[in-house]
Amino acid sequence: MFEIRSRAQRLVLQLAVTLAMIPFLIPIVTMVQRSLQGRGWGNYLAVLQVPGFGRFFLNSFIIAACSIALVYLFTMMASFGFSKLRIRSKEVYFWLMMAALTLPEVVLIAPLYVTAVRLGMLGSFWSVILPIAALQIPFTTLITRAFVDGIPDALFEAARIDGASTWKTFWYVLIPLARPIAVAICILVLINAWNSYLLPKMFLINDNMGTVTLLPEFFKRQYNDDTPKVLAAAVLTAIPEVVAYISLQKQFERGMAFGALK
Amino acid sequence: METRPRGGRKSRLRPGGLAWLAPGFVLSVGLIYYCIFYSGFLSFFSWRGGTSKMTFVGWDNYAKAFDSPVFWSAIWHTIVFFVVVFAVQVVGGVAFATAMHSGLKFATLYKVIVFVPVVIAPAIMAPAHIQVWSSDGTANAILDLLGLGGLAQGWIGQSSTSLMVVTLVQCWGAVGFGFLLYFAAMSQIEQEMLEAARLDGAGNLRILWSIILPNVKATTVSLAILNFITALKLFDNPWLLTQGGPAHSSEFLGTMIYSEVSGQSRSLGYASALSMILLVIAVVVSVLMNTTGRDRPARMKARRLAPAETGAQDV
Repeated sequence: MFEIRSRAQRLVLQLAVTLAMIPFLIPIVTMVQRSLQGRGWGNYLAVLQVPGFGRFFLNSFIIAACSIALVYLFTMMASFGFSKLRIRSKEVYFWLMMAALTLPEVVLIAPLYVTAVRLGMLGSFWSVILPIAALQIPFTTLITRAFVDGIPDALFEAARIDGASTWKTFWYVLIPLARPIAVAICILVLINAWNSYLLPKMFLINDNMGTVTLLPEFFKRQYNDDTPKVLAAAVLTAIPEVVAYISLQKQFERGMAFGALK
Repeated sequence: METRPRGGRKSRLRPGGLAWLAPGFVLSVGLIYYCIFYSGFLSFFSWRGGTSKMTFVGWDNYAKAFDSPVFWSAIWHTIVFFVVVFAVQVVGGVAFATAMHSGLKFATLYKVIVFVPVVIAPAIMAPAHIQVWSSDGTANAILDLLGLGGLAQGWIGQSSTSLMVVTLVQCWGAVGFGFLLYFAAMSQIEQEMLEAARLDGAGNLRILWSIILPNVKATTVSLAILNFITALKLFDNPWLLTQGGPAHSSEFLGTMIYSEVSGQSRSLGYASALSMILLVIAVVVSVLMNTTGRDRPARMKARRLAPAETGAQDV
C-alpha cells in the first residue's frame, strides 16, 4: 500500500509494528509466566492428573462435531433446495430464515431454559448442540446458497438427463463442487462451538459434561483459587486452539472472514 | 423424499425440493421463532420457573426495566463499549493492514500474534486477563517500570475502572479481526489507482485518507454492525472478568439477562422482557445501519465473492 523510500522509514515502521505487538503478548506472557509460579512444571502435572480433565475436551469435541455435522448437512441440503430445486414461493422461506440472521443468543436463553427444564433436557448435549446449530444455519445457508447459485444449472441438468436421482445429484455433483465453501463453514462452526460459553454454562450443569470453556471455573473450585494451577489449565486448553489455528491458518482466516459478511 | 414431476421439460429437470429445505428450516427457523414468541409470552408474566406460580402482570416487566437505573446503566455501558471497541478495531485494523501491505519483514509472525487473541475463547483467556489487571498484576508492574507507580490500582475490582478493563480486554481480541477484514479488503484495491495517485504527488497519508479508506468503507460498515450486535449481546467477557460488578459498574444486557435466568432470585418474566427489548434494539439498529451505511447489502457482497472462489483466494 504505502511506498517506503528510505531505509530509515522502513526501520521506523518495522520498529513501530514490533512495539505494537507488546499489548497483544502481555496477557499470554502473563498467563505462561504465572502458571509456572510455585511448583513450576509441577502445576501442569497436577492439572493433567486431575480426574476428568480429558473429559472436558471430549465433551467439547462431541459438541463441536455434532454441531458441524448438523450444520453442514442441513446447510448443503437447504442450499441445494433453494438454488437448484423447484420450491413454491421459496423466497418467502429464504426471507424467513434471513430474518434470524443477526439474532443474539442471549435472547434465547430464558425460553430455552424453560423448555429444556420441561423436556428434561437440562444436562443433555442436545440442549447446547441444537441452539448452536440453529443459530448458525441461517448464515451458512446464506453464503452457501450464493455459492451454489454460481454453479451452472447445466451440470445438474446433465446429471438428471443421465438418469441420476435427486439424491445422487446432490451427493455426486453438489457436495464435491461445494467443497471450498464447506471448509469455511466447518471452521466457522468449529470456532463458534468450541468457544461457546453461555450455552454450556447454562445447560451443562454437571462437571462431567463440562466443555473446555468451563475448565477455568472447574479448576477454581477444585483448587480454591490456586492461581498458578488455574492458569496452567488455561494454557493447556489454549494450546490445541493455537496449534489448530497455526496449522490451518488460511482456512481459519477465511472462515472468520466469512463470518463478517452478515 | 422426491415429489413427482408434474410434466413439462423444465420441471422434470427441476425436481421439487421442499423436503431438502425442511430439516434446516425446521431446526433454525423453528427453534428461533419458537423462542422469540415464547419469550414474548413469558415477558407478560411474573414467574420464578419450575412449579412456582405464574402470574399475569401485563407490561409490568417492561415498566420495571425502564424504571431501573441498572437497565439504563447497562445501555450506557453498551454504547460506551461499542464506540471504544469499534474505534480501536478500525484504527488498529487499518494501521496493521496497511503496515503489512507495505512489505514488512516477519509479516506472518505479526499476523499470528494479532490473530491468536481472536481464536482463543474469551472464557479460556479470562484468568490471564484477571492476572494482568489485578492489583498485583502485570499492568501495575508495567506502570511501575515506567516510573508511574503512583497510578497503580486494583483496576478490575473498583467500579471506576471495571468497565474500562472489560472494554480493553474485548479490544485485545477484536483488533485482529478488524485487521483480517481490512487486509483482505485492501488486497482488492487496484494497484493502478494507487500508482496514479502517487504520480499526482499524493503522500502516504493522503493515499490512506483519499483512496484506501473509501475503498474499504463496506468493511467498516460491516464491522460497525457486527460490533453493535456484539455489544448488545455481550456476556462472556464481563461475566468472566467482573460478573457485571462491582455494584453493576460493568453490567450489560447480556449479564443482566443471565443473572435473571440463573440467579438465586430467578425471574424469567423480567429476563424475557429484557430479551425482547434487546431484540427490538438489535433489529432496529441493524436495519438502520444497513439502509444508511451500506451502498449494497452484504448479501450482494457474499454473492460477488462466492462463485469465483475456488479455494485459491488469499486472505
